[in-house]
Amino acid sequence: MADFAALFLADLVLGLLLGCVLAVIAHGLNIIWGVAKVVNIAHGEFIMLGAYGAYFLYLYAGFNPLLSVPIDAAIGLAVGVGFYFGFLHRELRGKESMGLQSELVTLVSTFGLSLVIVNVAQSIWEHPVGILWSPGSAQIGPVLVPFGGLYVAVVSVALIALTDLFLTRTYLGNAIRAYTQDIPATQLMGINPTFVAAVGIGMGFSVTMAGGALLTVWLPTGIDPTRIGILYAPISFVIVVLGGPGKMWGSLVGGLTIGLIINVGQLFLGGSIALATAVAVLTLIPILLFRPEGILR
Amino acid sequence: MRRLSLRALGPTLLGILAFLGVLAAVAGWMPLVLLTLVINLLIFAALAYSINFITGLTGYVSFGHVLFMAVGGYGLAYGVGTLHWHPVAGVALGALVSLALALGIGAVTLRFRGVYFAIASQVTALAGFYIVLEIQELGGGQGIVLNVGFEPIAWFYTIWVILAIEVGITYWITHGRLGYGIRSIRADEDAAKTVGVHAAALKLVLFAISGLFAGAAGGVYYWQGSGIFPNEAFSLTFSLIMLAMIVIGGMGTLLGPLFGAVAVYLSSQYFLTVLIGFEFVIIGVLVVVIALFLPEGIVGTLRKYVPELRGLIE
Amino acid sequence: MKRTLAVSNVHKSFGGVRAVRGVSLALEEGHVLGLIGPNGSGKTTLLNLIAGVAKPSKGEITLDGRRIDGLAPHRIVAAGIAKTHQIPRPFLSMTGRENVAVAALYGSNKTRDLPEAMETAGRVLGLVGLAGKEDVASSNLTVQQRKRLEFARVLATGARILLLDEIFAGLSPDELRDAVALFARLQGELGFGALVVEHVMRAVLTVSQHVVVMEEGSKIAEGTPQEVVQNPAVIEAYLGPEAGRAPP
Repeated sequence: MADFAALFLADLVLGLLLGCVLAVIAHGLNIIWGVAKVVNIAHGEFIMLGAYGAYFLYLYAGFNPLLSVPIDAAIGLAVGVGFYFGFLHRELRGKESMGLQSELVTLVSTFGLSLVIVNVAQSIWEHPVGILWSPGSAQIGPVLVPFGGLYVAVVSVALIALTDLFLTRTYLGNAIRAYTQDIPATQLMGINPTFVAAVGIGMGFSVTMAGGALLTVWLPTGIDPTRIGILYAPISFVIVVLGGPGKMWGSLVGGLTIGLIINVGQLFLGGSIALATAVAVLTLIPILLFRPEGILR
Repeated sequence: MRRLSLRALGPTLLGILAFLGVLAAVAGWMPLVLLTLVINLLIFAALAYSINFITGLTGYVSFGHVLFMAVGGYGLAYGVGTLHWHPVAGVALGALVSLALALGIGAVTLRFRGVYFAIASQVTALAGFYIVLEIQELGGGQGIVLNVGFEPIAWFYTIWVILAIEVGITYWITHGRLGYGIRSIRADEDAAKTVGVHAAALKLVLFAISGLFAGAAGGVYYWQGSGIFPNEAFSLTFSLIMLAMIVIGGMGTLLGPLFGAVAVYLSSQYFLTVLIGFEFVIIGVLVVVIALFLPEGIVGTLRKYVPELRGLIE
Repeated sequence: MKRTLAVSNVHKSFGGVRAVRGVSLALEEGHVLGLIGPNGSGKTTLLNLIAGVAKPSKGEITLDGRRIDGLAPHRIVAAGIAKTHQIPRPFLSMTGRENVAVAALYGSNKTRDLPEAMETAGRVLGLVGLAGKEDVASSNLTVQQRKRLEFARVLATGARILLLDEIFAGLSPDELRDAVALFARLQGELGFGALVVEHVMRAVLTVSQHVVVMEEGSKIAEGTPQEVVQNPAVIEAYLGPEAGRAPP
């Protein structure tokens, strides 16, 4: 019994740490979803690009994943602005909201994008690559806390807090929030909707790619282009729905929930991470059925 | 009774049937290389028509259709490997299990609109993968290797029959009363309900048909491959290829899925010779360009800009 | 047999908001019942409850004595009740004729035969004054034409009780006069029953034999059009308390 309690505690801590980084990769999607009311199906591929960014900074500059966060974020901002003009501008320009047809167009076109990115990545990097960074760990009672995971969790929460501060305390942030609520009203306030949307989407990509850098700590077998998108994109979608699309702190609530279901849940599923992951992603269905606005009110 | 005249069936259906008829007549004389190519083309077309039933006709984008293809494959593998059935019976088993699964999943996920349905479909496929990994009877993470004969002619006629039935059902649905109900759902589901369309039932029937045929096509695919492996069977690639074919060909049309299958399959074969993986880059670029600039696909765009073709292709 | 719609003591709450609070009314085929009231008084919600778009929290809705509250919208249509949308919602990817054909194919007198449905659709479009617009994409119709298309769709379902949500709103005085005349003529010829929700007082008082007035989710008055316009509670609801107290 004592053994189980120790295992439980250890998995609880790991689940919370994992949950934080899952939260931040989903947070990027949440911002994009909030601004454009549309889902970027290629989300997982941008997480992957963020992870590769961290890998190359490690390879050529010796950076650890934490140091590569700001650089990845800066690249993400540029990528996001490009994405806005490439994929969303035509659908959002002059509209009050995303119509059903535009939604279809965006889903399908971003899915095409994901196909391109995955296969280019696969052709260039045939084998998974990994980052060797182990800042040590500490034994606290029965729980072994890995410092890498801990630092990453702290940075993740800090990133979410920063975006929240930006959106609520700055003029530009408030303009983005206004845009997410009501596009025509934004224009009446004298705000250029294109600029605001581009910055909002850029910010979403910024967080996504920074999240990809942070995620590398949790990828002991390395960055595998065929596996990242297929797993972390659906997980991000589920997290955003759990927390409630457009609710900034919802990402953290959803991320922690999924992290706990995977790590603590496998204890009750015969130690199968696979089954626990299946359960975690399937929580989407009851949430959509019974609480479509997410866990948070 | 109304008279059924050939002319009334329309040139598109007749054209597709003629194409299939010629293939069936000459299959026995084809060189093996060509026959293999044709079999795979027909499998791709069968997959395209299967996703066309739900995504093409109703606009509900399924990103997880690989699930049904994989279930069809596992049904075949279980029927042949464990139950020692004839492969055709295995294909039928896989198709029926896939149908049942589609009914169960669709009853829940078809309540979600737009992106929510798309995500739910992706998530069910991912969960299916993780669940299969834990089922030892289905080989767990190792998959199942089958000891079946090399029977290209049997593969050909099985997938031929599946595809012909799909084309027939597509025609029957799009040209009758059901077609109007389905188009109204695609245009405005809530408004459709208020003129009496039982949207939930119609969608579920389409999703079930879609699952049935994706399963059947999957069965033939893995029969031909004499085995199934979870990493490959659940890889997103097939979900994406299925969607790519109808996006490129034209969603919800009778001819579009066939055009899409030819375009995607042939270009994948061609570019495969250039660089592995490169074929999907090309297909991905095509999907992006078509989705953004020609959202009606090849068939829809031809109909729009070449009025002479309007009576000929649909 | 004449069909009778009866709404008795129906309530509907959304979260904490009580949109409809114990409303009762009755409508017989062949009659026109006006339903008026200020913005947000719960008229559209009541129509949605009858049409099956939403379920009442409490109360009963019956058609010829048979409970129909809580049925899915398509079953309400099958029972012979159909509703227009306040903001027209044509199937934009279809022509005018196809829009109406869907209603003929799936309405209460389901036509299985396509050519027959097309013929019905053409005839109904003619009735509502959209002759010549059969093959025009519905996305190319004006707002007024879209309103008529909505009306054509409910007629084509074969419904005997029509729920009409602000079909006279937003029309110019000339258009309004034509629309009212058209409605009165069709109602006389076809003999359907109609529950007409309306802001435009003049129109609703002209076409209705009986009027129900709602305010803040409750029924505050009912009677003939003449009775209702002289009712102090109605005047107060529309013009404010001062007007209500003033001598007539």
